Amino acid sequence: MKEMLQYGLTLMIICAMATGLLAGVNSFTKSEIIARAQAEQDASLKEVMPEATNFAAVETNGEVIYYKAYKNDALLGAAFKTTAKGYSSEIETMVGMTKDGQIAAIKVLSQNETPGLGSRVAEPSFTGQFANKSLEGLNEISAITGATISSTAVMNSVKTKAEEIFNLIKNGK
Amino acid sequence: MKKLFHEFLKGIIKENPTFVLALGLCPTLAVSISLMNGLGMGVAATFVLICSNIIIAMIKNTIPEKIRIPCYIVVIATFVTITELIMKAYSPALNRALGIYVPLIVVNCIVLGRAEAYASKNSVMNSLFDGIGMGVGFTLALLLISGIREFLGAGKLFGYTLIKGFEPAFVLAMPPGALLVIGLLLGFFNILKERK
Amino acid sequence: MENKLTVSVSPHLHKNESVSKIMWLVGLSLLPSGIAGVLIFGTSALRVILLGIVSALFTEGILQILTKRKITIFDGSAFLTGLLLAYNLPAHVPFWIPIVGSGFAIAIGKQVFGGLGQNIFNPALVGRAFLMASWPRYIATFTTPLSYDAMTSATQDAVTSATPLALLKEGKILEHVSYLDLFLGRRGGCIGEVCIIALLIGAAFLLLRGYISWHIPGTYVLTVAVFTYIFAGENGLFTGDGIFHILSGGLILGAFFMATDYVSSPLTQKGQILFGIGCGLLTAIIRIWGGYPEGVSYAILMMNAATPIIDRFTKRRIYGK
Repeated sequence: MKEMLQYGLTLMIICAMATGLLAGVNSFTKSEIIARAQAEQDASLKEVMPEATNFAAVETNGEVIYYKAYKNDALLGAAFKTTAKGYSSEIETMVGMTKDGQIAAIKVLSQNETPGLGSRVAEPSFTGQFANKSLEGLNEISAITGATISSTAVMNSVKTKAEEIFNLIKNGK
Repeated sequence: MKKLFHEFLKGIIKENPTFVLALGLCPTLAVSISLMNGLGMGVAATFVLICSNIIIAMIKNTIPEKIRIPCYIVVIATFVTITELIMKAYSPALNRALGIYVPLIVVNCIVLGRAEAYASKNSVMNSLFDGIGMGVGFTLALLLISGIREFLGAGKLFGYTLIKGFEPAFVLAMPPGALLVIGLLLGFFNILKERK
Repeated sequence: MENKLTVSVSPHLHKNESVSKIMWLVGLSLLPSGIAGVLIFGTSALRVILLGIVSALFTEGILQILTKRKITIFDGSAFLTGLLLAYNLPAHVPFWIPIVGSGFAIAIGKQVFGGLGQNIFNPALVGRAFLMASWPRYIATFTTPLSYDAMTSATQDAVTSATPLALLKEGKILEHVSYLDLFLGRRGGCIGEVCIIALLIGAAFLLLRGYISWHIPGTYVLTVAVFTYIFAGENGLFTGDGIFHILSGGLILGAFFMATDYVSSPLTQKGQILFGIGCGLLTAIIRIWGGYPEGVSYAILMMNAATPIIDRFTKRRIYGK
């Protein structure tokens, strides 16, 4: 019994010290981590809507649905994230769309597809094709040779989500 | 001083954690796609290894024999979490590239292995140099593997294309490539050992 | 089949020439298919074959010098590996593809394990799998046979086309490819796999001379035919085209010349039958439901890995034990 208490106390002291140390480091890095995530978000928003000057998040139940992009208070369009199930991973894409339903640009935020084949969906030769395409025009995009699954996954996810967001904007939501 | 230097040196060649002790192969296989990943993983693991070795050598006499493993794990996990927080704050890109393998340093058998086999029996100074040596040995092994894989699998080193027109062999950037490169290097180091 | 068993009193001497002789004879039996390949795809096919063989011999020699072992580049085994690898490539690959492939096949597929007789996998298929995973766009791009050009237009440039199996995978109907076309090799594909009749001549030679037995190729081909007949049809079960699946892809080349490799296939007849059925099932499953149109090489590699365990369970019991 005495032994048990001794073990428990020793572990408790070590854990308490570890917790204290972690709390210290956390308070020190927390603001930096949040700032980094915000900066990255802003950079990718800026990349898909280069002409916009500021963005406003549109939220439902605390979840960001999309971002409205403004240029000096005039509504330019929207930017939103979409995910697709690719060949071997989830492909997350940021899409910029003008208010009349044209894709401005897309950017692949994260993917883990086959290197050299599916991973080429992140390259400008593929993502560049989306620029200035209307929603119907998205069907004309040519898939990467040897990586049809990854390419169509991105194309379909962009198209479905863009249609959804376009309807939201049209209805003034 | 000479003895301390010896503690440092043994981790690099004679008891190299990857090629001789064959410890911690899981992160080695998974993250060695590019030199940058290899370097990041190596530095992170080295930091954890040095800190945990020092702390464990310091508290080795106060913790009872029967609960030493949970104590070691708490110490190691603390330093791993610190590493992860710092990485997230100051190098988010690297953190994303290494992904789940940063928190998994907790179960990297090099760290626990050195705590159990070395730091719990030796002085703080010796443990510090053992930690540095093992960490550097692990980092060098990772750099060797990821250098070969990045060059042959993507045609690049540290992200820079070296030879125009070189067609990289994708397979080396994929999991089978990791097994192939590590297997061949292990064989090569065994030949070196036999020659001696 | 005649009885090859020789009964003699000790000492039993191992005759090394016999292995070498078999290797060269297998090489000879592949000659008709190679000639057919060159006739069908033109001289670039010949270039691929020669580069594959030279690279295999060269790699074998260099590695044996480096490891200070007996140099055996003329025992026919490296020659055969290079030849088979080249037969598994399209005719218009860049010149370095057969060189790298053969080098990898010999170095990693064979010498790393300790040389002839020690390798777990068929070296030529190891080389092919490596090329397929590394440079898929060259290995999966096929050229139209020369005879097509003569029929359709006068262009001399190589025209890319898909293999019948690849077309099938994409859901296209194969109206212009008849069984006769497939039998004579008038289709897109790898150099050594297209001309079925030439392959069968070589296979018949090996079977009649007793260098290979019917157990692996027979069960392999039959399994693929039955399985595809049952499951590959578009209009439900039992409507598949088994004959098409036998004649297309690399099935005949794989079943008679690569699955029968002495080193990497089971020793007993029972084991060989199991091996053949396993290869057949895997090939058919990859073809029907897999990500690739063709599954022969992966099926054989997977069954190679299973060979030790098959041998263990089909070993003949020693009398009295």
